[in-house]
Amino acid sequence: MKIVIVGGGIAADYLANSLLSQDASVEVQIISKETYAPYDRIHLCDLVEGSADIQDITLELNPKVQVALNQEVIAIDTQAKQVVCQKQNFSYDYLIIASGSEPRTAFDIEGIDNAVTFRSAEDSFQIANNLQNRNVVIIGAGPIGLELLDTLMRMPQAKKIYLLVRNKTLYSLDLDPSSVALIQKAFERDDRITISFNDQIIDKTVLEGHITQIKTKQLEIENPFIIFGIGIKPNVDFARSSLENDRGIMVDEHMRSSDLFIYAVGEAAQIKASGFTAGHVKECRLQADTAVSHILKTNVQSFERDVAVDGLKVGAFQFTDVASPFYDINDPDNEVVLLRSKSENRIDQYILNHDKLMRFIGVNSNVDALYLKQLIIENQDIDASYLYNNRHENERGRLICSCVGAYQQDLIELVEDNAVTSFIELQPYSNAGRVCGRCKKDVANLISNAHVNPEEVARKKAAKIEANKQAKWDRAKRRIEKFNRLHPKNEISTDHFADALESFDKVSEFNGWVSMMTLNLNLPSEYDHLIHQGVQQMNKLPVIWLELADCSGNSEAFIKSVNPTIDDLILKFISLDYHELLMAASGPQSEHLLDQLIEADKGEYILMVEGAVPLGLNGNFLRIGPNGETGEALLKRVAKNAAAVFAIGSCALDGGVVAAAPNPTGAVGVAEALERDDIINLPGCPVNPINIVGTLLHYIMFAEMPPLDTKNQPLWAYAPLIHDNCERRGHYDAGEFVREWGDEGAKKGWCLYEMGCKGPYADINCSTVKFNEGTSWPVQAGHGCIACGKGKIAFDEYANHRKVIQLPIS
Amino acid sequence: MTNKTTDSTAKKQKIVIDPVTRIEGHLRVEVEVDENNIVTEAWASGQLFRGIETILKNRDPRDTGLIAQRICGVCTNSHYRASITAVENAYGIVPPRNAEIIRNLVSLALFVQDHLVHYYHLHSLDYVDVVSALEADSEKAAKIAHQWHKQPYNCSQGDLEAVKEKLGSFVNAGRLGLFANGYWGHPEYKLSPEENLIHMNHYLEALRIQREVSKAIAIFGGKTPHPQNLVVGGVTSVMDMLNPQRLNDYLFIIKDTQAFLKRAYLPDVKMVVAAYKDNIKAGFGRGNGSFFCAGGYDLGSFNSAENASNNDSESSKLFVDGVIWGHDFDKVESFDENHITEEASRSWYADEQPTSPYDETTEPHYTDLNTDGTLKTEGKYSWIKAPRYKGQPMEVGPAARMIIGYLKGATLIKPYVQQFMDDTDLELIDFSSTLGRNVARAIEAEVTCDVIFSSVSELIENIKYYNEETWTKYDFDALPTSTKGCAILEVPRGTLSHFIRIENAKVANYQAVVPTTWNASPKDANGKRGPYEEAIVGLHLADPQQPLEVLRAVHSFDPCLACAVHVIDAKGKTLAEYRVPAKMGL
Repeated sequence: MKIVIVGGGIAADYLANSLLSQDASVEVQIISKETYAPYDRIHLCDLVEGSADIQDITLELNPKVQVALNQEVIAIDTQAKQVVCQKQNFSYDYLIIASGSEPRTAFDIEGIDNAVTFRSAEDSFQIANNLQNRNVVIIGAGPIGLELLDTLMRMPQAKKIYLLVRNKTLYSLDLDPSSVALIQKAFERDDRITISFNDQIIDKTVLEGHITQIKTKQLEIENPFIIFGIGIKPNVDFARSSLENDRGIMVDEHMRSSDLFIYAVGEAAQIKASGFTAGHVKECRLQADTAVSHILKTNVQSFERDVAVDGLKVGAFQFTDVASPFYDINDPDNEVVLLRSKSENRIDQYILNHDKLMRFIGVNSNVDALYLKQLIIENQDIDASYLYNNRHENERGRLICSCVGAYQQDLIELVEDNAVTSFIELQPYSNAGRVCGRCKKDVANLISNAHVNPEEVARKKAAKIEANKQAKWDRAKRRIEKFNRLHPKNEISTDHFADALESFDKVSEFNGWVSMMTLNLNLPSEYDHLIHQGVQQMNKLPVIWLELADCSGNSEAFIKSVNPTIDDLILKFISLDYHELLMAASGPQSEHLLDQLIEADKGEYILMVEGAVPLGLNGNFLRIGPNGETGEALLKRVAKNAAAVFAIGSCALDGGVVAAAPNPTGAVGVAEALERDDIINLPGCPVNPINIVGTLLHYIMFAEMPPLDTKNQPLWAYAPLIHDNCERRGHYDAGEFVREWGDEGAKKGWCLYEMGCKGPYADINCSTVKFNEGTSWPVQAGHGCIACGKGKIAFDEYANHRKVIQLPIS
Repeated sequence: MTNKTTDSTAKKQKIVIDPVTRIEGHLRVEVEVDENNIVTEAWASGQLFRGIETILKNRDPRDTGLIAQRICGVCTNSHYRASITAVENAYGIVPPRNAEIIRNLVSLALFVQDHLVHYYHLHSLDYVDVVSALEADSEKAAKIAHQWHKQPYNCSQGDLEAVKEKLGSFVNAGRLGLFANGYWGHPEYKLSPEENLIHMNHYLEALRIQREVSKAIAIFGGKTPHPQNLVVGGVTSVMDMLNPQRLNDYLFIIKDTQAFLKRAYLPDVKMVVAAYKDNIKAGFGRGNGSFFCAGGYDLGSFNSAENASNNDSESSKLFVDGVIWGHDFDKVESFDENHITEEASRSWYADEQPTSPYDETTEPHYTDLNTDGTLKTEGKYSWIKAPRYKGQPMEVGPAARMIIGYLKGATLIKPYVQQFMDDTDLELIDFSSTLGRNVARAIEAEVTCDVIFSSVSELIENIKYYNEETWTKYDFDALPTSTKGCAILEVPRGTLSHFIRIENAKVANYQAVVPTTWNASPKDANGKRGPYEEAIVGLHLADPQQPLEVLRAVHSFDPCLACAVHVIDAKGKTLAEYRVPAKMGL
């Protein structure tokens, strides 16, 4: 996909970088009419002053971006999807217009050698070269004009400097007259400077492309050098015939123009719904993010205006500017609150509208701009006394970078803690000074004034690493304690952490614990090999499933698993390495596989056992495998190396139906056969697959077994009592019972207690999770519960349709 | 008499397969092969005894269903229903028609679910090489799928590519899990990579479908496996029956499933038949040709228009009864359960003489294995008894039902069988073979799925006219205290019979003769082989180390138990040992 960007400023640069960082496969082409690669216009005054050259203000650009310079765009051919330039055409799949704006002039300056605009590097160089002994006339007193005036004031070349102001304000139409007076006074301390209010050029004398004299309403100036800073207009003439436009190119909330494949951002764009055009770098970036997300279709966002925070340092004055997106300068209900301090040369000007803050302009203010921004966002009611009482600076000092919200104290700490000695070195720690670039100098100054003591830095660094390590080890300790609590048989000492870790290897039952430790606890790198082992284990937990004296009912239930489904479960989450019912391998292949698994995955596999273990006839009621191994011997052999043993279903609990009276084969459960008390029991006839998968996933996710009850059954599945959570419980309480199969009560879903439902004796979660993807369960089917999860007692006492109380069983 | 295989002059070797995997339960198969790798003798042995019949003794007859169903978790509903029906038969209680229909809705859905799981998840890996599927060209595969059905199920190139990718990333992750150590690359795997891919696609898809059908079963059964909705006299799920949404859910699941059967299962079986036509025609895995079917599943008057005018009650049944001897298709006898006996001369029980199931005992008499773990093939060698019909071993299951149904002109079965034979150029005799059993099973799945709709229609009609009865009332104390009864039911794997004798209002004796008892029967006192054994003898093994042909033959019966096969040379030395996963069923 080829994306063409028209423009050579910060917006174009940001767009290009951000496109490539999100999708390395796109082809990005920048077309700029300028001679230089994209640079940061914020620092044009440095070029004028000579304190920086063009390289210093050139923006970082991804080297994969193709840049065509000196290309003036003439038109866009939306049919052919081409950008038409004077020299060549560029094809695009998507076009983004970030051509910014161009400066206005009071008269046509084409062909005149001593009248310029102030917008580009070229302009800056021209200004710098034409100051000597000139009477410099700056027209316009906005931030650009003032900043230039401040720059020229520091330079000796100009003979006189005039600032022509059309009305009676400086910086902004909103600025209070007292602030204007304060600033005027400060500038006019330099006797070369004249600020002429309510003034404009009314006549000029031009000789051979050179203005020899101008006449203003109030002044006559010989040998002038005129610089226009009177405003800007969107630079979109090339698109006027092809795209819907007003002042700028009309765009929707995704910054898309009237053409589906063309977007516009920044000063060139005008949001159709609100008429808004971005002025600040931060807004341009947000718009760029919006356009990029919409083109790449990743996490698509809409552009929403944010509260604008800006700062400008001019001479002795620091402007702070916070404006609500809803601020309307012409609203007659606007009110001004002014707090002035003569001794501090400080003026705080608040513009309110119905008790809501709309704009703040501070001169040398000590008010925290981000705090004001918060006031606007939260739409808080405020009054003069509130403002007075809450005007103090943030405890972290002055806000240096409003774009990233970096306060003076934060930056000093960063610089000192990390021994930063230059602006470039700061980057890994903070983006301060790098977003709009306006505060770059302040940040650089802060760095050069900071006191960095390398030894102190090293000490702090070491302490920090130590504290991190300690915190991690403390967490690990807590986990060990929890582990010991959950499995009282395992005693892992927390006194010597390294020893404890080593001992995990010896804990054959729960080796998965190690992987949990390394992965979840983000342990130091010396445990890399364990992490490696952990990842493998987590991804593919080996599972061996043995069927003993069973009916395969639990296996049949298991293949009806959902979330994850059985295919995802066996293809992605676990490695079901041995399961007689499902495995492909046969003959020596399957038996050798089992032998190999027991050794190769020693201490890592989960053993699931389905069925009872017949001990009668020396175990000969069940013989498995080529050598006729008894079920009991096979179980013992495979259980020995298992990380954990799950007894699946009621037969594995205590023999279940196979052990019902008179227990002809002497069947017992897995725990009894193994003479172990750490077998996880998941009874049910069959077990609900949710209870297998839930327990398994708990183990995979948390690398430990869920909390168990006294019968080693996971509490989450075996604590709820069916009767308490039964959908028919209301009928029990109301005394509404089914008395006969198929009677009126049965049709209405009344309580089955009188029909021998054993819900009151069954502590298991059937009534809440149901079976077969929540389709039904025995009580819903009108039959009632037989407490099948209770093991063999269910088949001697519960599996019938009579109340327990009437049933003495043989 | 059997051909004795321990001829010391000929070069014979013995193969032991234990456990047989991809079956339910614990089955062992031992075979002896000659120098040409032809199987000359075979022994099938059930290796687990649980004694459920013993546990049933002395219980209240009304409680047997909940225990008997736990004979098997795969055929769970079949034993549940058989046990309840046997008790009803003993007491002469006839459940209402609605209860019968609900029982049928669960049973018929179980046919479909069981056949699907058997074919795809337990059996297809004997024919489908997973590893080869990774080599498939998905575009080509999509075209091939269209040769077998004009709308093949989920077989666009994209679908197939996705499956290939899923399997590929699984294989690349390093652990093959269930697919580890298969006989991949065995010369007897004949499908092309593309055909293997189509099959594996449906293997995964069938995992979903069987889950869905299970939901349909659970709508009336409460859950599955081990449903809980039957009582002596009827069913309990009356509330579900009266809920139109439940009926609707059930029907729509069956409808989706029907699409899978017609557009995936049947075409896949046809594809395998085409690839192995030679094996079928050569009669690989053919038994002795004696079959029986007990008939059953009264579908009422809704099954077809012809039957509405024909009052013959036989023709309203899904399956018709019959007995065939030695592939003699010209003569079909009627079935009579009184000819069933069981004997245990070669089984680990004390009661050796042929006995009626009502009277026989289940007294274990274990004579152990040889010290090397092999069967004592001269004496008792299995926990499975030897059921006989008129003293003869019989094969039961879908092949028996389809052959007999065809020959007796069963209205619901014959057209399906005829169509399949026409499409694939098969004859009736071909159903008596390894692959033929799978063909019969696939046709039966299609038939049972189709007839479900007429059953539901009948139920809806009953409810419409205010017949909401689901239970026949009886006074237990007024019932005879001594009686006997039986249930003979056709279930997915074959003919299932439960026999109950009641004395003093308690169970005095209980015997279940399940399909796998018939098919996996050991030899009898006369040395006559059981059907598995008969099907295996005569097979040629391409590689005795990988007895794939034996597995195919055993799997084709859809066993419901677990087993084992070893290879032993003339001197009795074990050459190789095999475990065949089997589904131990009825």
